[in-house]
Amino acid sequence: MTGGRRARILAELADGTDGDVTAVRLCEVCRGVTGMSGAGIMLMSGDLPLGSVGTTGTVSALIEDLQYTFGEGPCVDAYKLDRPVLEPDLADPAVLRWVAFTGPAVEAGVRAIFGFPLAVGAVRLGALNLYADRPGRLSDDQHADALVAADLAAEAVLGMQARGSSGVVAAELEHGANFQYVVHQAAGMVSAQLEVSVGQALVRLRAHAFGHQRLLADVATDVVARRVRFAEQDASGGPGAP
Amino acid sequence: MEVRLEKPGTEGVDMPREALLTSTLVELADSLVDNFDVVDLLSRLADRCVEIVDVTAAGLLLGSPDGELRLLASSSEAVRVLELFATQTDEGPCIDCYRTGEPIVNFDLGDAAGRWPKFAPKAVEAGFMSVHAIPMRLRGQTIGALNLFRAHEGALREIDVVAAQALADVATIAILQHRVTSDAQALNEQLTQALSTRIVIEQAKGVVAERADVDMEQAFARLRTHARNHNLRLTDVAQAVSSKALPVSSLDG
Repeated sequence: MTGGRRARILAELADGTDGDVTAVRLCEVCRGVTGMSGAGIMLMSGDLPLGSVGTTGTVSALIEDLQYTFGEGPCVDAYKLDRPVLEPDLADPAVLRWVAFTGPAVEAGVRAIFGFPLAVGAVRLGALNLYADRPGRLSDDQHADALVAADLAAEAVLGMQARGSSGVVAAELEHGANFQYVVHQAAGMVSAQLEVSVGQALVRLRAHAFGHQRLLADVATDVVARRVRFAEQDASGGPGAP
Repeated sequence: MEVRLEKPGTEGVDMPREALLTSTLVELADSLVDNFDVVDLLSRLADRCVEIVDVTAAGLLLGSPDGELRLLASSSEAVRVLELFATQTDEGPCIDCYRTGEPIVNFDLGDAAGRWPKFAPKAVEAGFMSVHAIPMRLRGQTIGALNLFRAHEGALREIDVVAAQALADVATIAILQHRVTSDAQALNEQLTQALSTRIVIEQAKGVVAERADVDMEQAFARLRTHARNHNLRLTDVAQAVSSKALPVSSLDG
């Protein structure tokens, strides 16, 4: 059963390429075989998102950005819990699973969202997210395909890194990825502005993003462009900040 | 049926062989989860072989990346010495089985002096009458061999051979899985390490950009120039700047 699925998805991946599988192509196949509206692959480490390896479009990219900003969402949970996280009706007001993530995701048209752990054996890399623009559960078939697709995606990501030079992120993996470098540049700037560590600066940036209902990357872009400046007296967290 | 037993066959009741085999297969399959110790798994396999299959002793050898066979586990000291001898002299059933990927069954050690002139006399001296070697094989790849020794008369039955092969197969899957996991572990660490290195550089660019009032490109150039001038790694300079150990005012350029 699983072997058949694996072969079918592998054939899908190889179709129309010269064996060169990019992360974006990987996401498109994950989306296609499961019949979803979009897919994205997120890398995680130590319970925090590292960034996105690839997405199928703007909504999937937003799903990753929101999780990167707020540190919560289906990928974060799938990675932490090491099991699939299924939310077939994200807009259902009875279930507010993710306080900060859900609102903007629903607003962007996400109605159902699923996170699958990305792992090779016991080694966990991140998570695959799949979303649909209408509510509904995954069929058994879709669920099984998603599990196999996530396994293949995990192998492919490591395969890309294996082909790169050691010490740097493989160029193949950087292509189409978003590791949010601007956020770290902004953290460096804010750490100098506030005379705090970069870690603390990142917390302040996150709090600001949360308080102003903005994406971390957008706040960071403003900091780097010197449109936003953090000062000691600044109540940067704003209302609702941790 | 209760199959999860710490020591099958030592319950005072004689467990039927099929039940013992099943419980051992379950026990081996259980070890597939997470990281496990390969030597521990193979030692258990060697012990269980002696309990399940009608043999006196068992030894397990795995091929190393350079193609050399290494003894990883044995059920008795006699077998340990014998297998070490076989690997040192590059002769014996385990070596043949590993090289050909084919099982060797019911080989009478009394008639084996022609095939293994050094190994056969030693095995007889150790008290063994016949030897068997089962390949540890998956999809055409032979990773090692399971050697079984008998100190009594008579041939191994077909059902014993099947049981031994089943045990060897499960162990093979476990070991290959373990190798895949180790490779994945190393690659994932490389990737995360590479990302954090890059992140530190971006942070340092931010610190320089703010303090020196320059853009990111100029900030990066200053970090790089300083690293070159002082024969330091860019990563180390970035780390020092990002942690404020190295003030931006002390940077060259």
